[in-house]
Parts: sequence; C-alpha cells; structure tokens
Amino acid sequence: MEGLEEVCFNIITNVGSARSDYIEAIQLAKEEKFEEAMEMVASGKKNFSEGHKAHGELIAKDANGELEAAGLLLMHAEDQLMSAEGFGILAEEFIALYQKLYERK
Amino acid sequence: MKKIVLLCAAGMSTSLLVEKMRDAAENIGYECEINAYAISEIDTVKDGADIILLGPQVRFSLKKIAAQCPEIPVEAINPTDYGMMNGTNILEHVKTVIG
Repeated sequence: MEGLEEVCFNIITNVGSARSDYIEAIQLAKEEKFEEAMEMVASGKKNFSEGHKAHGELIAKDANGELEAAGLLLMHAEDQLMSAEGFGILAEEFIALYQKLYERK
Repeated sequence: MKKIVLLCAAGMSTSLLVEKMRDAAENIGYECEINAYAISEIDTVKDGADIILLGPQVRFSLKKIAAQCPEIPVEAINPTDYGMMNGTNILEHVKTVIG
C-alpha cells in the first residue's frame, strides 16, 4: 500500500469529486435537465465507490494494527467521505422534488 | 509575481498540494505566490489573484465563484493531477492560462 498520505489524497479526490457530482446533479435538476442530473448522480456513485474502496483497505490495515496513528488528514478524508454520502442521499431526494415541481407546472 | 489561489473545503488537502506546486515552481524558476484557503474565505483572498483553482470537493461552486470574481480565470483542478498531488502538472497548466 502507498503511504497513508497518498491513500488519504486518493480518498479525498474520489469522494470530493462525488460530492461535487451530487451537488451539480441538483443544480441540473433545478434547470429541469433531469436526464443529465441522473447521469451526474451515476458519476457520483462511481466516484464514491472508488473512494470507499480505498477507505475499505484502511479498515483492514487498522484491524491488523498496521495503521500509523491517525492524523488530521485521515480525519479530513473521513469527513469528506461522510459528507459525500450525505449529499448523495439528499441529491436523489432533491431531484425528485424538482421533478415534482416540474410536473405541476 | 503571479498570485495563484487554491480553494477547497477546509484548505487542508490543497495546502499539501501547494507545497508540491511551490517545489515545482522553484524547479522551473517560475516566480509566483501560491496559497490554499477554505472556499468560505474567497472574498478576503480573491484580490490580486491571477487565477483561482478549485479542488474536486468544491468544484460545484465554480459558477458561483466565477461570478464573484469576474476578471479572474476560475478553474477546477484536474482530479487525476489532484489525486496524485502532481504539483508539476498543475503548475504547467496554470502557466498556459496566465503565462
């Protein structure tokens, strides 16, 4: 495994991209571009999955006691991961809401 | 002296990237000031910036930041370069945009 800093950066980049994908999906739904919105959600899920996979390897290392003392960067990566997950959940709800508004026009 | 501003959610992961970019700048003798900030600080740090770069976590704010900084190029950092902390690639790209 690469150094912890590299793994953290890998996680942050992937879940960070997912985070933006999800928010941009909502922004697209706001513009009534629903198909593109769902494509962004799919992109978000893919990026999140990559980040989650990298994070999963850390859990295994931690269980073996191989992980160095968790530093601020790892905590930040965790934060970004959970924030991305939350945004994903809300993105689907928001898109459904914009869809409803559109249908009632 | 070019002023390069990096933004991300807390300014933390980008500050690591800043170090790599500063090394790259020194290697090629490119005179510049590179700093990372939390996106919430944009109003206080945008003055005099020659370019503003956004980390992937805040890419969704690109249009908003661009509207707040009309004279300044605002771009999302290439996620592959960001993930690999490739300061050299990102700096080379900055040079193509601002000279």
